Amino acid sequence: MTATQEAAVAAPGRPAPVRPPRRLLPTKRTRFHLLLMTPAILLGLLVLGYPLYLVISASLKDIGILSPSLLASAQTTTQNYKELGSDPSFTQAIRNSVIYTVGSTIPAGVLGLLTALLLNQKFRFRRVFRTLILLPWAVPTVVASFLFLWVLNASYGVLNYILKQLHLINQYIPWLASPHWALVGVIIPTVWKSYPFFCLLILAALQTIPAQLYEAAAVDGAGAWARFRAVTWPGISPAVYLAAVLQALWAFREFEVIYPMTAGGPAGSTQTLAIYLYNEAFQFFHLGYASALGVVTIGICVIFVAIAYPRMRRNLSRS
Amino acid sequence: MVLSADPRAAQAAKAAQTAPRRRRARRWHWLVLAIALTALLLFPLYWMLVSSVDSISSLFSVNLSLLPNFGDLGSYAEIFRNYQVGLWLVNSLVITAGSAALSIAVAVPAGYSLSRMKIGGDVAGVIMLFTRVIPGTLLVLPFFIMFSRVNLLNTLLSVIIANTSLIVPLAAWIMKGFFDRVPVDIEEAAAIDGCGLWRTFLLVAVPLVKPGIGATGIYAIVLAWSDYLFPKTLLLSPSHWTLSVGAVSLIGEHTVDWNGLMAMGTIGVLPMVLAFAVLEPYLVSGLTAGATVG
Repeated sequence: MTATQEAAVAAPGRPAPVRPPRRLLPTKRTRFHLLLMTPAILLGLLVLGYPLYLVISASLKDIGILSPSLLASAQTTTQNYKELGSDPSFTQAIRNSVIYTVGSTIPAGVLGLLTALLLNQKFRFRRVFRTLILLPWAVPTVVASFLFLWVLNASYGVLNYILKQLHLINQYIPWLASPHWALVGVIIPTVWKSYPFFCLLILAALQTIPAQLYEAAAVDGAGAWARFRAVTWPGISPAVYLAAVLQALWAFREFEVIYPMTAGGPAGSTQTLAIYLYNEAFQFFHLGYASALGVVTIGICVIFVAIAYPRMRRNLSRS
Repeated sequence: MVLSADPRAAQAAKAAQTAPRRRRARRWHWLVLAIALTALLLFPLYWMLVSSVDSISSLFSVNLSLLPNFGDLGSYAEIFRNYQVGLWLVNSLVITAGSAALSIAVAVPAGYSLSRMKIGGDVAGVIMLFTRVIPGTLLVLPFFIMFSRVNLLNTLLSVIIANTSLIVPLAAWIMKGFFDRVPVDIEEAAAIDGCGLWRTFLLVAVPLVKPGIGATGIYAIVLAWSDYLFPKTLLLSPSHWTLSVGAVSLIGEHTVDWNGLMAMGTIGVLPMVLAFAVLEPYLVSGLTAGATVG
């Protein structure tokens, strides 16, 4: 201890501290870093790499039930992908997925932004409110799903009751029973479940904005809106962007909200790509076709990420 | 307040006197707004609680009462009697604790080395995003095959491993953000003091990122507790089910026991409320680092 302490104390005074030979250290250190990465890499290969390999090869085979031995013996074909082109359910699923993704991400983002701005103000019991407002995020997805199945019930649902009492509607809305409303019906719980995610990321970003910037803006006589445009928005826009990208990716593949509520019905009106995939695989045992749907889903997401990533990266490195 | 001959100071003193009053008034209106918004946003949860203790007849009445009338407290006793709710609760707890522990054990070292390696930032970001492009419904089948091959099907461990694989990428990315904030100088000083790489990592770097571990922990807990798809497909016998899977099984083809279902939902949410109340502070501070540092 004394010797090392001496070295540490002496080090700042000396112009060139004694270091071990440079070439040896990095390799040892790199090896150490790789060692620390190993569990994560193994996990990734085992539980993400292998499934991906299976799915891609299954999508190129004409098989019903997925099993490794069948996979090896089945003929390779591009039939599954060709079928996609002439399948009206597929086109509808893509349309539903896009509406569902955009329709839930934007309201969730707005609600998340408003709640985050509120929670960033100083007021009494702020911490309690922060916990409460973020709480829907911690509600298990399927619980949120069947809770809204009840709240949106066409005959006994409390939402219809309240809307009617407030004279906003004359007749009860069959939220989940009509093809017109069903997509709205599954978007509502999705927004409720996911606005805290935006709130959280935006709140975190708000806290990194220096108070001096607001003071300076106030001195310059900037009003609330001008302060928001000049100080707040530049500070939080990278977080909003990041949250929107992550949320959209999540919503595009969402299964647990929609499936327990409607299983894709009525008349396929809530059948997104993820639901269609599940129904094809587990109800009709069209494994090859389901895998092809999965590969297309991944493809769309990868293109989306490829478009979104450069700006995300720029945002991140700037802050 | 001391009187001063300097008019500027007097003005400042006056401003200081009125400012807090104005600020306090504004704080009140924020509080009112917060109460209104919270009431609106948490109404569904309130309704779940009300529905779980109301009698069936009042739930299906034309004139709903928005206040609980505690007509039927027996729904809780009933679901515990009719279903293996206690067992499901334990299973959920085991899976959640296991997933959180394993995720932290894997993500903390991974985040550290991502932070210390030059290409770490891009690698972490791309991997994190990449795992977010694969539909869960697509992973379920290969997982089923894999786990049946190694005889882990119908075990809680299979769900823990499946959960961990999806939690680790984002968790490692969050942890990388935290380790980025630990100055390398501290580690170099430790190295000069004769600390080995392992000891530098475990005794110097890790204690400095405790809030990050908290953030990763709550993220893992929320995700694992909420998970439905993996336990639904990997756990075959009802005695191995989790709360989520058990709850959905209450939804029948034609009839739904809304009382029981809402009671089940309340039981499913309560542990998260507790975990959230304790761990929530880590969440915001955790993401402050994770979200802003690439």
